[in-house]
Amino acid sequence: MTSATTRVQRPGALWAAPALIFFGIFGLAPIVIVAGLSFTTWDGLGNPEWAGLHNWRTLPSDKLVGSGLMITLTLTVLTWATQTPLALAFGAWAAGPQRIRAVVSTIFFLPLLLSTAAIALIWQALLDPTFGLPAQWSELTGLSANVLGDPDLALWAIVFVLLWQFLPFHMLLYQAAAKQIPASLYEAAEIDGASPLQRFWRITVPQLRHTIIASSVLMIVGSMTYFETVLLLTGGGPGTATRILPLHMYLKGFSAFEMGYASAIAVLLVAVGTGLSLLVVRVSGYSQMTSEREGV
Amino acid sequence: MSTITARPAGEQAESVTPARSAKRSAARAGSRRVSRPAYGAGIGAAIWLVLVVVPLYFLIATSLRGSGDYLSAGPLSIPEEITLDAYRRAFEVGFLKFLTNSLIVAFGAIILVLAVALPAAFAIVRSKSRVVRIGFTLFLLGLAVPAQAVIIPIYLLITRLHLYDSLTAVILPTAAFALPVSIVVLTSSLRDVPSSLYEAMSLDGASNFQIFWNLVLPLSRSGVVTVTIFVGLNAWNNFLFPLVLTQSMDTRVLPLGLWEFQTQYGTDVPGLMAAVVLSALPVLALYLFGRRQLLSGLAAGIGK
Amino acid sequence: MLGSALAALALGLTTACGTSGPGADSDKAGVEVWMVEDASVNEVVQSAIDTYSKNAGIDGELVTYVNDAYKQRIQVALGSPESPDVFFNWGGGNLAQYVKANQVVDLTEAMEANPEFRDAFLPSVLDVAKIDGSYYGVPMQGVLPVVLFYNKKVFKEVGVEPPTTYSELLDLVDTFKKEGITPIVLPGAQAWTELMWLEYLTDRIGGAEVFQAIAEGKEGAWKDPAIIKALEMCQDLVERGAFGDNFSSLTSDNGSASTVLASGKGAMYLMGTWEISNQQEHNPDFLADGNLGFIAFPALEDGKGDPAAIVGNPSNYFSVNSDSDNVDEAIDFLVETMASDAYVEDLIEIGHVPAVAGIEDKLAETEHSEFTTFTYQLVAEAPSFTQSWDQAIPPAAAETMLTNLQLVFLGDMTPEEFAEAMEATQ
Repeated sequence: MTSATTRVQRPGALWAAPALIFFGIFGLAPIVIVAGLSFTTWDGLGNPEWAGLHNWRTLPSDKLVGSGLMITLTLTVLTWATQTPLALAFGAWAAGPQRIRAVVSTIFFLPLLLSTAAIALIWQALLDPTFGLPAQWSELTGLSANVLGDPDLALWAIVFVLLWQFLPFHMLLYQAAAKQIPASLYEAAEIDGASPLQRFWRITVPQLRHTIIASSVLMIVGSMTYFETVLLLTGGGPGTATRILPLHMYLKGFSAFEMGYASAIAVLLVAVGTGLSLLVVRVSGYSQMTSEREGV
Repeated sequence: MSTITARPAGEQAESVTPARSAKRSAARAGSRRVSRPAYGAGIGAAIWLVLVVVPLYFLIATSLRGSGDYLSAGPLSIPEEITLDAYRRAFEVGFLKFLTNSLIVAFGAIILVLAVALPAAFAIVRSKSRVVRIGFTLFLLGLAVPAQAVIIPIYLLITRLHLYDSLTAVILPTAAFALPVSIVVLTSSLRDVPSSLYEAMSLDGASNFQIFWNLVLPLSRSGVVTVTIFVGLNAWNNFLFPLVLTQSMDTRVLPLGLWEFQTQYGTDVPGLMAAVVLSALPVLALYLFGRRQLLSGLAAGIGK
Repeated sequence: MLGSALAALALGLTTACGTSGPGADSDKAGVEVWMVEDASVNEVVQSAIDTYSKNAGIDGELVTYVNDAYKQRIQVALGSPESPDVFFNWGGGNLAQYVKANQVVDLTEAMEANPEFRDAFLPSVLDVAKIDGSYYGVPMQGVLPVVLFYNKKVFKEVGVEPPTTYSELLDLVDTFKKEGITPIVLPGAQAWTELMWLEYLTDRIGGAEVFQAIAEGKEGAWKDPAIIKALEMCQDLVERGAFGDNFSSLTSDNGSASTVLASGKGAMYLMGTWEISNQQEHNPDFLADGNLGFIAFPALEDGKGDPAAIVGNPSNYFSVNSDSDNVDEAIDFLVETMASDAYVEDLIEIGHVPAVAGIEDKLAETEHSEFTTFTYQLVAEAPSFTQSWDQAIPPAAAETMLTNLQLVFLGDMTPEEFAEAMEATQ
């Protein structure tokens, strides 16, 4: 066998070179550049100028960095806590063999066809205080019509829109996984007289634990990209109530043209993003899970 | 659904041939006998159904209204008269231009990704080179980099390359950020190929290129489909890169066009909704005619 | 802020996508003009360029960009080889930034050589492009002061008159509130609409000098008592319910605010004069029935400021890029065109009120002559025309200002904290 393998043709590093170079320029070099830019002042006009630690000294005194971080984490937790149970329940429900379930879940998936921008704009129109739904329900019930303009409600509105947007996707994961649960498990439980709820807790949930972990990892890592929805829906407002850290960086960079300072925020963002991913992967045992699978 | 939807496609990598296992599971599910329906979940599903349908109804109904009707009637009322005026306005604002640009960006990114990712995946699976192994680790690390965190240096790079406000400016970073997931997907679909096949071919005197052409390409077809859908959807929905890297009417892509529709032209909500409907049609077509591939591109195989 | 103003000026959707067309051909010698995308004004400028090019035998070209991105684009372009000869700007602090970077040609000499050209413009508007005593820009479109609009029908039904003083305004707030009508429409989702209140109140309390000092970057300028007082008055208006309960989610971008006024759900609306084109497009009946009223911002009884002073967008300006290979041609283009009858008439035709002296008769013939004449006289008689603050100060400070102002209106920040935070940006 050894003599055979030596004669086997193997592609060299050259085959991977285009991908590596390309990714190096647009994926990896920017991380280095952004770190460099964080030590400069640059207004987009002319060249960046060395500014030493100035941006980094400003960072701790910027209240919006601290609050932005808090809002980002709050949003991550809330989206996870709303999406996971609903996706799990609906996914398991949709996995059932009934025809009606298949039809309904097809409708559930429809939001998947819309882009983030489209979804945010639909909901912005629907939540308009004068011409949207809030005007109607406040007439009927006396509840506030000021959904996107109320600092407490606006974040929940974003959580809801994100739920509307991403639930179908996670539901799909659970549905696919739930279909693979052996029917014999359910049959046995049914003979034991377990109720549907008991079957859900005793069979479905434990059987789906890997999917729960995978879906959670995706949600938490993906939460760094909620930027677009927030920008389009509330612009970070009212005031700064929904100004998540990525949005703060964007506004500092492309609205205030303080690109050096914005780069410092971006470095923080990379650190938080990577830290969060590592933490989640470690805590959830996601990596062991995947390596187990790779071994198969 | 931006980068997030993408990730699961990557996960598929880890499991074995999604299509096959999906088929298997479907068969099994069919044989399952569930006698008592789950009322709790059923009621919940009914509520959610309303929450999904109402905005979609609003979307369609509003797009068929006249502007005046929109402002006077409630958001959920049945349109007094149905008119395609809003669609006409959507085309006048430049919908076709946005559509063309979005298609160019999507196909550009797909071709670029496949052109560099396929050979790389081949090298990763078959090469013994340390450079390649380290490279693969770098790609895996790249999975965790949020695009908006590096938007400033990308803006710097693009302006210094004199690419600002061109479609190329959007294609390059879009492809680069889709690369890690694509490589993971392709690598795992190639890992399913028994190494004896490679060895047999190479013993027959085939060159690397011949192996790549005659073995790797045909066998990675399902991975290629997944990657194509993943990259295409990502490019299609991308908002941040076009927002920062383009600006003129000539380079506007759909998601940005929708937004401009709102900020530029005031209160024309029906026109905006018509543009949203139109922008969803290509994906809807994909969903209708290639549902299996679309969904597998999105998620398949992530389960246990 | 200008973004929406200019967008709103593009009167119809139907013409909104025709004229743009970047594709600068840098090989040809000639005058390349850059400006933001705005269908109707683009057409006027295009025709001026065509006429001038033909007469002077040069190649003129217009390149347009979307408003929001224009500033970004011009920042990158100035100083690079792909820069324009003549570029659109906002005057004031925006222009000063380029002047500081030595990217703008001083037009003072050209103005002095052609005094009739200089004197053709309304001084309060021309002065906005005066940096350190020299002229760097020429007004290129209509004036857009901020005025107080009101719904005449609602006023008649309630039996009240429009306010001439601030205390009358406060009384009206209470009256309308009792009637269940939102006294003042405020699209607070966009901070720049709140800024209009701060601008006018500051001006009425302390006069135009207060902001002048800020624009010049004087130390302690933001802590002027007039600023604090004006912010307190804003918060007082919020507490009184002057803006209703939903102002923080109301937007002007999708035209909701205009329709709230037109529908009679709101009584007054402080907005730029471009509001008339919003109404024209979205509530034509309201406008046609003559129900849109307009007055100058009320006088403040014990204020130091001149009640005739105005704030808003004096105009936009054309300036000449100092890196241009065709500086002489570019200056000549501006001098020959910007105050010419043809150009002024074209602007009036599309509903603008140009910043040019002696055009009363021409305005009297326009469709909304009552409104354009009102606007023109307001500007012509104004002792000062303070530029919208967010345009007059550097972008970084403007961003902080708008963010903090929203917090002040929400009651999450005190006027003193606001002043403190802004002082830090000086």
